[in-house]
Amino acid sequence: MTATQPPGTTHSAGRFVGQSVTRREDPRLLTGHGRYVDDVVVQGMLHAAFVRSDLARGRITRLEVEAARRHPGVHAVLTAADLNADAGSLQPTMFQGATPPSPCAPVRLLADGDVRFVGDPVAIVIATSRYVAEDACELVEVDYEALEPIVDPEVALTETERLVHPELGSNVAMSVPTPPDPELDAIFESAAHVVHETFQQHRHTCVPMEARGVVASYEPSSGELDIWLSTQNPHEARQVCSRLTGVPAHKVRVRAADVGGGFGQKYFLQRDEQIVVAAARRTGRAVKWIEDRRENLIAATHARADRIAIDVAVDPEGRLLAARLDHLEDCGAYPLGGTGGVGPFVAMLFPGPYRIGRMGFVSSAVWTNTCGRGAYRGPWMLETVAREQMVDVVARAIGMDPLEVRRRNVVAATELPFTTAMGMELDHVTPAETLEQAVEIIGYDAFRAEQRRAFEDEGRLLGIGIGLYVEPTSMGSGSLGVETATVRVQPGGTVTVMLGTGSHGQGVETTMAQVVAEHLGVELDDVVVVQGDTATAPFGAGTGGSRTAVVAGGATREASLKVREKVVEIAAHLLEAAPEDLEVVDGQVSVRGTPSKGVPLTEVARVAYNDPAELPPGVAPSLEATVSYQAPPITWSNACHVCTIEVDPGTGLVAILRYVVSEDCGVMINPMIVEGQIAGGVVQGIGGVLYEHLIYDENGTPLTTTFLDYLLPTASEVPEIEYGHIETRSPTPGGHKGMGEGGAIGSPPAVFNAVADALALRGATVAEQPLTPTRVLDALADA
Amino acid sequence: MKPAAFEYHAPETIADAVSVLAEHADEAKPLAGGQSLVPMLALRLTRFMHLVDLNRVTELTGIRRDNGSVVIGAMTRQRSVERDPTIATTSPLLAASVPLIGHSQIRNRGTIGGSIAHADPASELPAVALALDADLEIASRAGMRTIAATDFFEGTWTTCLADDELLTAVRFPVWEGRCGFAFDEVARRSGDFALAGVAVAVEVDGADAIQRCAIGLLGLGSTPRRASAAEAALVGRAPTSDELDEVAQLAVADLDPPDDIHGTASYRRRVGAHLVRRAMGHALEEATNG
Amino acid sequence: MGEHGIALTINGERREGRLEARRTLADFLREDCELTGTHLGCEHGVCGACTVVLDGDAVRSCLLFAVQADGAEVVTIEGLAGPDGALSTVQEAFRAEHGLQCGFCTPGFVVTVTQLLSENPTPTDDEIREGISGNLCRCTGYQGIVKAVRRAAEAGR
Repeated sequence: MTATQPPGTTHSAGRFVGQSVTRREDPRLLTGHGRYVDDVVVQGMLHAAFVRSDLARGRITRLEVEAARRHPGVHAVLTAADLNADAGSLQPTMFQGATPPSPCAPVRLLADGDVRFVGDPVAIVIATSRYVAEDACELVEVDYEALEPIVDPEVALTETERLVHPELGSNVAMSVPTPPDPELDAIFESAAHVVHETFQQHRHTCVPMEARGVVASYEPSSGELDIWLSTQNPHEARQVCSRLTGVPAHKVRVRAADVGGGFGQKYFLQRDEQIVVAAARRTGRAVKWIEDRRENLIAATHARADRIAIDVAVDPEGRLLAARLDHLEDCGAYPLGGTGGVGPFVAMLFPGPYRIGRMGFVSSAVWTNTCGRGAYRGPWMLETVAREQMVDVVARAIGMDPLEVRRRNVVAATELPFTTAMGMELDHVTPAETLEQAVEIIGYDAFRAEQRRAFEDEGRLLGIGIGLYVEPTSMGSGSLGVETATVRVQPGGTVTVMLGTGSHGQGVETTMAQVVAEHLGVELDDVVVVQGDTATAPFGAGTGGSRTAVVAGGATREASLKVREKVVEIAAHLLEAAPEDLEVVDGQVSVRGTPSKGVPLTEVARVAYNDPAELPPGVAPSLEATVSYQAPPITWSNACHVCTIEVDPGTGLVAILRYVVSEDCGVMINPMIVEGQIAGGVVQGIGGVLYEHLIYDENGTPLTTTFLDYLLPTASEVPEIEYGHIETRSPTPGGHKGMGEGGAIGSPPAVFNAVADALALRGATVAEQPLTPTRVLDALADA
Repeated sequence: MKPAAFEYHAPETIADAVSVLAEHADEAKPLAGGQSLVPMLALRLTRFMHLVDLNRVTELTGIRRDNGSVVIGAMTRQRSVERDPTIATTSPLLAASVPLIGHSQIRNRGTIGGSIAHADPASELPAVALALDADLEIASRAGMRTIAATDFFEGTWTTCLADDELLTAVRFPVWEGRCGFAFDEVARRSGDFALAGVAVAVEVDGADAIQRCAIGLLGLGSTPRRASAAEAALVGRAPTSDELDEVAQLAVADLDPPDDIHGTASYRRRVGAHLVRRAMGHALEEATNG
Repeated sequence: MGEHGIALTINGERREGRLEARRTLADFLREDCELTGTHLGCEHGVCGACTVVLDGDAVRSCLLFAVQADGAEVVTIEGLAGPDGALSTVQEAFRAEHGLQCGFCTPGFVVTVTQLLSENPTPTDDEIREGISGNLCRCTGYQGIVKAVRRAAEAGR
C-alpha cells in the first residue's frame, strides 16, 4: 500500500497512467461499427412486444389472447398462466438467501390477476417482426376492474385500506427511526438558531440513449441459454437468468457487446428482460426484445422521488451543531432489488464533509402504484442535495454568505482522519481544498459584487450556488468489492486482460489497457481488454458504483505486476542477469543502463509457451496471472461544484453562466475520461433540476411518456464546464478513487442553490423541483 | 414503436393527390414533411388506412412574388424559406420565425403548408399566417378555393380543411412602408414548442403614429390568436412605454391559455404579456427608424 | 397491405428492397441493408440518433418511410470514413476531443456535424450549439462534442 500524499499535491503522470490517451473504443463507434444489442441477429430470431396495463391499479377480469395468437406472423402469446409458475427467484443475487438486506416487493414475471402500475406487463407477444408483434398486441383483449391507486407517497405512508401489495399487509416498505436522543434534543433546545426546511426531489431517471434490450435464445437439444444483453453487469445477469429459468449457470452465457449507457438502470435485470428470457426458455427459440422509448419512460426503473424534512441547530457563529432528518422515499410498485431505496444510507452520509455534531433521523420507504425505483447515478445523492441546499437556507436565515458557512464547517486536512456524526471515517479527502479551488476559479467575490451591481442598477437576478460533497466509491461490500483480472501475455507477445467489468461509456477498454501497459511495461497498442462475455470474463460485479478504477484497476494492476515479475524472472535467466537490474519498457526487457543487453517480451513468451525447457528451474510454463482484488470498505473521493446563473424575471427561464468543478479522485488513469464522466453527470444534474420530470396524474397515469414531454437538456442549454484537479492518492493500488457518479451528485444542489440565491434577491424562495419557468415565476410573484 | 399498416400513395400532381383524397375521404391523410404526423403514427396515437405522400408533387413547391404577396407552395421546405435571400425583405416575420421551428433536421423535411395544416397552436407558422392575414389556397376535386387565415384555424390540430381537401399554397401579404416586425417566443428548451409566443407587425405614418398593427399569439389558446382589442387600442397612436405596458396586458386579458405540465395558464398569460410588450417595443423601434 | 419495390443509392452503392410502406427508412437501413450504425433512440423524431443524409440534407430516418426514399441518395454513418477506414475530419475530431462515451448517439451527431460544417464551415459557438441541439446525448454533457465541432471546423480551414 502506498503512503498517503499530503492533500493537494499533484503527481506527475506515468508513461500511460495519467495520460489523456484517446480511446480504443472510438474507431468502431465513430464509424457505425459498434455492436449494440439491437445489432445482434440470431438465426431464426423472433421479436417480442408487450401488452402493458394502462391502469395503475386494478384486477384483471378478462384476458383473451386467441385473436392475437391467430394473427399471421405470430409465434406465441404468453401470459402469467404460461410463464410464472416455472419461474425461479427474480430478485438480484444480493437479495437471495433467507434474510435479504431489505424487504422485497412480491415480484412476479407477468402480471397475474391484477396490475399494480401503468406499464405492468400483462402479456408478451412473439412474432416475426416488431411491427407484427405490435399489431398483435392490439388484438389482445384485457378487461380490468379499476381500483383506486395510491400515487402520492405521503398517502401511502398512512393508507391502510388500499394496499399496493396485499401480500405484504402494509404500504410501508421500510421505516428506520433512530432511538430517542435526549442529548440531541438538548442541542436543539439551546441552539442560537434552529432552521427548518422541507425539500422535494422530484421523480426523474437515467434515460440512457440506448434503451434496454435483450436477445435470448434457448437451444433445447443442448440445454444452453445464450443471451445478448444491454447490461452493466453480465455476470449478475447470468446468475439471475440461471435462477429464473432453472438452466444451470454453466450453461448460461451472457454477452454484452457495446452498451449505450446505463447510469444504473442496466445494472440489474428488470422484469421485462426476465420475461423475454423465460419466454425463450419456454419456446426454445431466439427472442429479441428492444425496449422503445415510451416503454423506457414508463416501465424502466425510475429514481430520485424523495421528500426530506430537515431541522438544523446552528450556533451564533454559523456552526452546524446538529441535524434531524425525516426522509420519505417513493419506491413505486416493483423497485429493483429490495425496496430500491437507500434511506438509511442517505442519513449516514448526510454530514458529508462537515463537522455536524450530532444527528437523528427517520427514514421511510413506501410502495406506490407507480413504476418501481432503481439505481440512478449516485442513488444516495439526496444526502448532498439535502445538505447543500440546507446549508444555503441556514446561511440566508442567519445572514451569512453560504460560502462562509461552508468554510466554518468543512473538515480541514489537519483533522483527518475524521469521524462524522454518523460514524463514517473520512480520510484522504480534500473538501476544503476543492471548495477553495472552485470558488477561486469562478471568482466568487467578484461575482458577488457583480450580482449586487446588476440587481441594484438593472434589476437583474444573478445567482451563485455551491455543491460540496464527499463520495463513497468502490464500496467494498459483498461481490461489489471484488474484481478479478486475468492478464495474459499471449504466445506472440501481445497482452490480453480479461475483466468482469461492463463498460458502457467509461472507456474501460482504454483505461485498463493503460494500467496494464504502465505496470507490465508494454506498448499500449499491444494490450487488448476483453470484457462482457461470461464465457471468458472472470467473475465480476460489472461497471457501476464508481468502482472500476479502484477495484478493476486494482486487480489489473496487481495481475500486471505479477506477470511482470515472472517476465523479469524468465528474462533474467535468459540474460544471465540479476532480476533487480532489469527494466521492462515498451515490451523490451533489458538491463538498466545497457539497453543492448536485452530480450523482447515476444522471446520471453516464446520460451514460456513453446520452449519450457529453457525456463528457469521452478518456473512453470505459460505467462499469465489471475488476481482477485478486494477493495477496502469505502474509498472516498470528493469534489466541489460551483455554478452561476441568471434568472429572467419576465419568463422564469434560467440561463447557466459558468460551471466549475474542482475534483479530487486521486490518481487519474485518464484525465480526459475523468472530465468526460464529470461532464455527463453535471448535465444530468442540470437536466434534473431544470427540465426533467416523470409526472403521474392522480390516477397514476404517466404524463411524460415521450421526449416531447420528458425534456433532456440539449447543447444549447448547457455551459462549458471548467475543471480544477487535485490529486490525493487513495490507499489502494494505484492510488485511484472512483468518481463516475460524482458529477450527478454535486450538480443538482449547485444549480438549485444558484437559482435560490438569485430569487433571494427579491425575497422569493423555492423548495421543490424541478425549477420550471412556472415555478420560478410563481416564486417571484409570491415574494 | 412501429406504425400500423397503411396503403401508400405517391401522386405526382395536385390533381392526382386530390383524387386519392376524394376517393378515401376520412380514411386518407396527406403526408407532407412528416415531422409531426409520423411520430403520431409511430406512437399509434392516430392511424389512417391511406397515406397520400405529397413529396413528389413538384407543383406544390416554390416561393414567388405575386403582387402584394409572397406565395409559398405548401410543400416548400421550411429550410428553403430559411435560406431564401428574398424572404428577409419580403416577409421579415417569416424570416424571424422559421429558424425557430424545431431543429435544422426538422426544417429540412418540414414544410410551410404541412405546419399550417397541422395547426398546432404552439407552433410558429400558424401564428405568423394569422398575424399577416395570409390567404390559404385549397384544392379539391371540386376545384380551388381561398380561405383567410382568420377562418382557417378551428381548434387544436383542427382546421376547416375537409377530408378531401389539400392546402396548396399560402399567400403572405407583404407590408410596405414604414414597418417594423418582431417575433419572439418562450420555450423550455431551444427548439421546443412555444409556451407562449408573439408575431408582431406594425406600420407607422410620418408622425410615428401606428397606422396598422397585427399581434399574433401562439401557445396561448387552442388556436393561434390575434390580440384584436390590443391592436385596436394602438391604431392611430404613438404609444408611450406605459401605454404599451397596458396594451400588453390587454392583449392577454381575454385569453384562455392551456394549462399543462410545461406551463400553467397563468404563467402563459403572464409571459404572453411580457412578450407582447417586448415585441411591440422592438417592432416600433424598427418602424420609427425606417 | 401491399409491398413496394424501391431502389436507391446508399453510401454510393445501389440497393433494392421490397417492403411494406410503413417500414421506416431507419429499419430498412438497419435490418434490410444491415447498416446498423444508424441507431434508434426514440423513434419519434427527437433524439437524432437516427440521422442520415437524404439528398444532401440531414434528416431523421425514423420519420421517413423507406418507400419515400425510392430514387434517393442516402449517406449513413458507414459512408463517412475513407475506403481504407481512415476517419473523416469530423470523426477524428470527435476522437481527439472525447466527443463520445457510450457511442450510441454518436452516428447521429457525426452525420449532423458533417452536414453542418459543409453548410457553414466557420460556425460561431452559438451556431455550433444551435446546430447540434437537435441531437441528444446523455453521456458527454456535450462538452467533448462542442469541442470536436470547433476542432473539425478549424481543421477544415
